[in-house]
Amino acid sequence: MSGRRLLRIFCYSILSVAFGAALFAGTITKYSYAAQFRDVPNSPPSAMHLLGTDGLGRDLFTRVIYGTRVSLLLAPAAAFLATAIAGILGGLAGLRGWLTEKVILAFADLSLALPLLFVLVALRALLPLDVSPIFSVIATFFILGLLGWPASLRVVWAAVRRLRQSDHFLFATALGYGKTRLLLCQVIPNLRPILLAQFWISIPLFVLTEATLSMLGLGVMEPLPSWGNLLRGCENFSAMAANPWRVVPLFVLIVTVICLQYILPTSGETA
Amino acid sequence: MTAWILKLAQRLLLLAALAGVGGLICATMVRFAPGFGVDERELDPRLSQASLEAIRKEHQLGTGLLSYYGSYLFGLCRGDFGTSTFLERPVGELLKERAPFTIRAVLLGLLTAWLAASVLALLTVRFPSWLLDSSATAFTGLLIALPAAVVALLCVFLRLPVFAGVALVTLPKLFRYQQNILAHASAQPFVLAAQARGVSRNRILFRHVIPVCWHPLAALLGVSASMAFGAAIPLEALSDSPGIGQLAWQAALNRDLPLLTSITLLVAGFTVGINSFPKAAHQEQS
Amino acid sequence: MLHVCREGPGPSGGELHFCLRNEPKTFNPILVDDEASEHIRYLTGGVLIRANRQTQALEPSLAESWKVSSDGQKITFQLRKGLQFSDGTPFSSEDVAYTMRLLMDPQAHSATGDAFRSAEGRVNVQTPSSDVATVTFPAPVAGLERLFDQVAILSAKSPKKEMSVLGPYYVAEYKAGSHILLRRNPNYWKRDAQGNRLPYIESVRLEVQRNRDIELMRFQRGELQLINRLEAEQFDRLQKENAAAARNAGVGLDAEEMWFNQVPTAPLADYKKRWFQTTDFRRALSMAINRADLARIVFFGYATPAYGPVSPSNRFWFNPALPAPKYDPHGALVLLARAGFRLDHGTLKDSAGNRVEFTIVTGAGNTAREKMAAMIQQDLSQIGVNLKLVTLDFSSLIERITRTFDYDACLLGLVNTDLDPNGQMTVWLSSGADHQWNPSQKSPATRWEAEIDKLMREQATLPNEKERKAKFDRIQEIVAEQQPFIYLVNKNALSAVSVDVAGAAPVALNPQAFWNIDTLRLGASGQLGANK
Repeated sequence: MSGRRLLRIFCYSILSVAFGAALFAGTITKYSYAAQFRDVPNSPPSAMHLLGTDGLGRDLFTRVIYGTRVSLLLAPAAAFLATAIAGILGGLAGLRGWLTEKVILAFADLSLALPLLFVLVALRALLPLDVSPIFSVIATFFILGLLGWPASLRVVWAAVRRLRQSDHFLFATALGYGKTRLLLCQVIPNLRPILLAQFWISIPLFVLTEATLSMLGLGVMEPLPSWGNLLRGCENFSAMAANPWRVVPLFVLIVTVICLQYILPTSGETA
Repeated sequence: MTAWILKLAQRLLLLAALAGVGGLICATMVRFAPGFGVDERELDPRLSQASLEAIRKEHQLGTGLLSYYGSYLFGLCRGDFGTSTFLERPVGELLKERAPFTIRAVLLGLLTAWLAASVLALLTVRFPSWLLDSSATAFTGLLIALPAAVVALLCVFLRLPVFAGVALVTLPKLFRYQQNILAHASAQPFVLAAQARGVSRNRILFRHVIPVCWHPLAALLGVSASMAFGAAIPLEALSDSPGIGQLAWQAALNRDLPLLTSITLLVAGFTVGINSFPKAAHQEQS
Repeated sequence: MLHVCREGPGPSGGELHFCLRNEPKTFNPILVDDEASEHIRYLTGGVLIRANRQTQALEPSLAESWKVSSDGQKITFQLRKGLQFSDGTPFSSEDVAYTMRLLMDPQAHSATGDAFRSAEGRVNVQTPSSDVATVTFPAPVAGLERLFDQVAILSAKSPKKEMSVLGPYYVAEYKAGSHILLRRNPNYWKRDAQGNRLPYIESVRLEVQRNRDIELMRFQRGELQLINRLEAEQFDRLQKENAAAARNAGVGLDAEEMWFNQVPTAPLADYKKRWFQTTDFRRALSMAINRADLARIVFFGYATPAYGPVSPSNRFWFNPALPAPKYDPHGALVLLARAGFRLDHGTLKDSAGNRVEFTIVTGAGNTAREKMAAMIQQDLSQIGVNLKLVTLDFSSLIERITRTFDYDACLLGLVNTDLDPNGQMTVWLSSGADHQWNPSQKSPATRWEAEIDKLMREQATLPNEKERKAKFDRIQEIVAEQQPFIYLVNKNALSAVSVDVAGAAPVALNPQAFWNIDTLRLGASGQLGANK
């Protein structure tokens, strides 16, 4: 078995553990993510609290597990939405060309120019106040998905344009394939690896955008944890030096993102 | 020659129109966003009712959004970007003060990222091995995994300039794209033919692979420029650097309509322009 | 830069570095209404009367002496002679008249000027001689003398306008978004006991730094020599790493508070309005909050539980007789039962069977407030209340609490710059725009608000401070009974001062760490990096 394959299997295992932990959080840890042990705030790791406690005495290990659930389950959903939109619009732009292509590309470029964080802040402020934290986090990731497609669009569009100029596509057109058959038999099967790659690339981007939002205090509502609001403890390096266990959420994020990078097909595999 | 000038004029017109549309979309978002027209001075207990009314009136548009935007564009033609409602200074002045810092950060960051990404991508293609590829993936994965806030704080902690942060954020994506482009070119039949003929790897790389990559790399230039600009904004905001990023974030938080519209207009013009440049060059060549 | 170093008093030279939290909006002292501009005004502006931040007493400054008329409407200043602005322009009573004219111009909408506006009508300034100025107001102004601490005198004649100053420093350089450089005013009037001209420090460099963690990092590296206000968590860290630099001036004036939305036209369900307007409900929830835990955990012990609008550090106006109810969830449930609420399988319900759940909004980015809200959420869950916490960006928050009133409860901080509660007239009057729980009322909605209105108006007309205090004491009692604001903690005044800064004596009043800027000195290593 090649080294690359072994590494990929190892990464799949780590991601499976992370997903599994996220799904079965209630079984892994006995504490609630909101329970405050006010006698032991900012305590170091111990038998009672494997990763110590945060500033309010909440078990950090529990919050990392539940935070993984929020970030790791919702980020792929947002990535799926963004990739689907990019796929549809990029496909349309690449296939139809002409005015459609120009309009869609211009719209994508404009979307990239808009202050995304502001849009997120404004949309979040529009949400009704009395929604549950779970609803608000789902809404946040939904909005991220709706707004996150421009970055993938050009990649999809370029791939579809190359496809249009490829020999097999021209051959299929010459054979008299209709538009629907061309789409289903030529375009989608060839776009699949590109879309899959974009999907995997987008996941960490959405995790990080949510993290940045949370670090600005505008992410997931308390007491629900997410990697983002757990990363707020990393804002001060001397505090981290004094409480090194606070770097665990960042470490979990880095390992997960690296694993997601490794499971992507390599350039040699897709070329 | 005339045709070329006409084409250029067409493109510039289109660019201006798109930037204008971008500005209008931004202005609309700001105008209808929650919190528009409020001022934190309204919480100051010292202010009299008359002063409060005056502050509230100051923040109203006074006219409809379209007529506001029309007069804004008219002022823009005269070089007047309006006055920031938050900082109470001409927007043109603010942009003139801050733009050099951001431009410097973006240019230097881009240069650094391109150099580093190119070297890394060339190495992985020249010496294909799973170990090198995995190490490069791990390194770039680590960089991708760091949130912009952490990168900004890391730069401050290590006393690195903002452009280093821009380079750190842009490098992993650039590397991935460059690696894909080079690997795709390396898999072409003519490269295989050259290998079969016993041509050395270095010669194949520099004489056969890289030359066919110029166009996609030129396209990547546009994308990377807008990536770098996009990275500079949160980095400046989070590390409190006196560039456009910090200005943009303050403008967003304070619903500063003239400032945010102007910044969006410039960024839209820059993004659309830089993305259309490689396409135009390609069309000229073909 | 001058680096003259002496062992005893005398100029130390050097450059003091510290940070402003935001870009100053103006250098015009008349129009100051943000903290950064206020700090610049304090450092550059000369005032007639200075409130000593340490003793809280009033001291002569540009005015050698003053006299307030018995009706509290007129104040006469005897000015110091022979003084000059920083550009050499002579100072006289004409400048006082000019400043007051600009300040009281209704079109200026000056927060400083509005503080003097006790009634409609013109303010007259007479200048019988170049060193006497008499200011007459249309109605008595409570705490008149103390208000002049905020009035920096402008030159009527100088071509440099507001950039020509009478304070210890003048603005020498301003780079937007980056820094402001202040240099010693060569014509500053104050001298020390040995006759040396003040200030001792040659220049002050104020950098614009929003991020507090970065500010602390820079202080620890020696790039900054002072942090005016430190958050409790940062102070706690500094205390462990560099105890000599961590300065705790004791209980400050600032408080954290929450309130319920009692606006009758608010877009809330009727049953929620009924809850929030019920005194027993508010008192019960107040009783169910563990303030001691908030002070200990969120503020690392650098705060004290608060029960009223005035901090104990405001020695004159604080009412020590106010009750301080202890944390008592059981007592809270008794009060709630009296109001018709009952606990049903761990969930509190009102008499109509509605579950008691509501949201509390606060500003995003303030980690201490978010932590407090999370702890309050936990405390109230003990009595069956389901509290949801929502953080909003500040503009959205202000819109909800001042315009749309689309919120249930709000958690915010109270920043007190003025000792005299008369400055909070618009908070206590039911018709006031800052009467947060139910602002701008046409007539008082409740008997106790009507009583507060009456007491506030009365105290504003009394010249005798003891009589005014008696009235305000009663207001404090009413607030403690009715709990329109639920005060949570009074935060300590925490600063950081490098060991190389001699003469620093941080206090509770703002500016905490550099109130005595003119007598601060930099030590032998008064250069950057001295903290290492």
